Amino acid sequence: MSRLSIQALTKCYAGAAAVANIDLDVAEGEFVSLLGPSGCGKTTTLRCVAGLETPTSGKVLFGDRDVTRVPPERRRIGMVFQNYALFPHMTIRENIGFGLEMRGVRGSEANKRISSVLDMVQLTGFEDRWPRQLSGGQQQRVALARALIVEPAVLLLDEPLANLDAKLRDEMRFFIRALQQRIGITTLYVTHDQAESMALSDRIVVMFAGRIHQTGTPQHIYDRPATKQVAKFIGQANLIAGKVVHRCNEVATVDTSVGRLLCATNCAVEPGTPATAMVRPEAMQLVKECSPNAFPGRIMERHFLGNIVDYRVATADGTVLAIQALGSIVHDAGEVVSVQIDPKKAWLLE
Amino acid sequence: MRLASTMLLISVTAVYLFLLLPIAIVVLASFNAAEYLSFPLAGLSFRWYAAFISSPSFTSAFLVSIAVGLAAAAAATVIGTPAAIFYVRFLHRHREEFRLAMLAPMLLPEVLTAIALLFFFNQVLIGTQTLLPLILGHIVITLPFVFLTVSSALYNLPATVEEAARTLGASAWKAFRRVTFPLIKSGIITGAMLAFIMSFDNVNVSLLLKAVGTSTLPIQLFDYLRYDFDPTAAAASTISVALTMLIVFAIDRIYGLRAVRF
Amino acid sequence: MTEASEIRVRHWLLAAPALSLIGLFLLIPYINIGIMSFRTPSTTAPYGPGYTVANYVHILSDSLYLSLLAETLLFATVTTAVCLLMAFPVAFHLARTTSRWRGLLYAGVLSPLLTGVVIRCFGWIVLLANNGLVNQALGTVGLGPFQLMYNATGVTIALVHVFLPFMILPLMTAIQSIDPHWEEAARTLGAPRTRVFQRIVLPLILPGLQSGVILVFVLAASAYVIPMLLGGGRVQTLPTVIFQQLMGGLLWPFGAALALTLSFAVLASIWAFVFLGRKRMRGLA
Repeated sequence: MSRLSIQALTKCYAGAAAVANIDLDVAEGEFVSLLGPSGCGKTTTLRCVAGLETPTSGKVLFGDRDVTRVPPERRRIGMVFQNYALFPHMTIRENIGFGLEMRGVRGSEANKRISSVLDMVQLTGFEDRWPRQLSGGQQQRVALARALIVEPAVLLLDEPLANLDAKLRDEMRFFIRALQQRIGITTLYVTHDQAESMALSDRIVVMFAGRIHQTGTPQHIYDRPATKQVAKFIGQANLIAGKVVHRCNEVATVDTSVGRLLCATNCAVEPGTPATAMVRPEAMQLVKECSPNAFPGRIMERHFLGNIVDYRVATADGTVLAIQALGSIVHDAGEVVSVQIDPKKAWLLE
Repeated sequence: MRLASTMLLISVTAVYLFLLLPIAIVVLASFNAAEYLSFPLAGLSFRWYAAFISSPSFTSAFLVSIAVGLAAAAAATVIGTPAAIFYVRFLHRHREEFRLAMLAPMLLPEVLTAIALLFFFNQVLIGTQTLLPLILGHIVITLPFVFLTVSSALYNLPATVEEAARTLGASAWKAFRRVTFPLIKSGIITGAMLAFIMSFDNVNVSLLLKAVGTSTLPIQLFDYLRYDFDPTAAAASTISVALTMLIVFAIDRIYGLRAVRF
Repeated sequence: MTEASEIRVRHWLLAAPALSLIGLFLLIPYINIGIMSFRTPSTTAPYGPGYTVANYVHILSDSLYLSLLAETLLFATVTTAVCLLMAFPVAFHLARTTSRWRGLLYAGVLSPLLTGVVIRCFGWIVLLANNGLVNQALGTVGLGPFQLMYNATGVTIALVHVFLPFMILPLMTAIQSIDPHWEEAARTLGAPRTRVFQRIVLPLILPGLQSGVILVFVLAASAYVIPMLLGGGRVQTLPTVIFQQLMGGLLWPFGAALALTLSFAVLASIWAFVFLGRKRMRGLA
């Protein structure tokens, strides 16, 4: 196991930068996701760590070892691909044993290790089957086994669950996380699914257009997004534009078209600067009476989802807010309500 | 690593040269002023083209090839297109067997097919007195090309397009005429053009089935080359190559060269 | 008739012309060759009355024809081997290159196929003749002249040239079907480039390779125009002899028997080739 360190990584194709100045430190045994929409550069970054692409500038280090110019076969990595990439002309045994074969481990020693790793992924007895005989989920587990059997320094996964159906994806999610924690391997995981990355990671790196917008724990990124893009990508966000009127320590008062809001912030914003208040749908409550940090509104739409209810509420100035509430009390469309915003949960973005 | 890719490039270039040099040589020889090709060229001249045009044996052979090619291509297209439609849309059992039957002329050695037809026409029909056996032979040989091309065009067209037309009230024939046919037209034309080229260039079948007294251009060239060397043959060859390349260019424009698969 | 079966008949009508054509002008004539090979030869007509196995007995007991058969198969084998060697670099390059000339390069492999066999042989005659271009070029540095035509060398060169695209295209298709992720996965598992080629790429292109080999072998073994042009009468293969029997000598039964003997020999060779390779093909479709 190693620490993984990415320093000032830049990769250009035909003059345009796919990733620019990526800095990231992954601690030993940590599970970090690279999260972002397609084309944000997360897969390019992963492939540079794998050695399948050579960076235009910057460095990749495994522990103290600079592997930037080292070819993939000498980096001691394990990689799982989106389409599993199991060798179609080899049995499961030969697939998993391939990495061992490259290291000169054969025969009974290899078979022993193959059996034990197949146990680990709950595919005991599958040694002599062919990849095409296996389901998607099974193939993915074989791909994992194949990557892990060589005891790599770093485990790299490129959207491994994207080709599975929803239910299987949930099962495999738990499986991968449990396995990773049991072995304690340093892991870098690429995905565009924010729910997936939040469920799996110790930390998330959110990327857009080749740059890192924010790095942090799932909780931190969710509650305190660094930019509007991050706020919108992770979960749902209501963004209300306004101007800072007053700030005292960690609380700012913002004048918006909806009304005067109290927001939490950790930036030293001056009064008069334009800013955006971000409020998550579940951070607002529908109450009957008016109170501080509450604004009148009318319910436009209501979607009853069983345990929760989704509302679209229009405030006096026409802004439509997305609000989520527990399903115990259900308001009807057309009702006039008071929207209360928890100041601790409203976050100020610049 | 660098060495390997340089060597790869060298060997690739060498093979391309090997493939294209003989054809280029023939074209060059047709413009050569002298009778024997040597370097440097004796001078540019069109005399061999003049000889070609004034040679009755060559010009009639050329015209026969064109006529036979057009007839064979037209017939193969008319016969092969519905067969392809049947195969892609309507056949559900014994698909492999049908496909094999359609492609059989391409899979069997041409010389065997030519011999088979030679015997057949002489025993069953009046023999190779007319051009009919030759044309029939060419239709058989070129049918697979039409079948393959039209099938591939149909595969690229999802059946749901036709089904949408049917739900909108079009009968099966109307749906074919207004929706399917316009969409596979380029594929059909490409198949016809390929069939023409294959017929025009064909020599294995033509040598055995040709009518007494007539000749196709490849046969004329064949006779010339066996007994004499004359750059008139080079001019004839170049014209043939030019015609073929023109058609290939047209295919690429209309449908794309990826259609040409064997 | 029910409506469903009426529709089915209408559908089969679409295929009727093609099936009739194949049945009448391919199936029956081929069966007829078989019958012809058992007819008695005649000197006054293409064939005589009655049936006999004498034709086949004659072929299998005459060392002339057996050696002709062996030579034809040898030509085919050598041609196939050389084609395979030459096809590899081009097929790889064509399958993997990202150059914008790719379309042109593909056309470069395809256009010889669309040019007539006779024209391509013509080019080789100009190149390989005693006073041809190759000998002229060698002559400027004091070498030669070498006998490159009217012998097995000239015939083989032309055979390789004509059938090379038939080896390149299936090989190229096979290489294109290899998912690059397989090679990348192998590299992440510690395989250096040479091992990736040996253990991943090569086994996976085996089916395409087999197709190309079979195709070229059959074509080369059946060729008669090329040996006649480049061999000038001094190189005889079984197909050229068959042609002479049929056109010159009008000995149809014997010619038919020769043709079928050649076909069986070619089929047997292919069967043996596929049989020997079946262990390497396991796991592949």
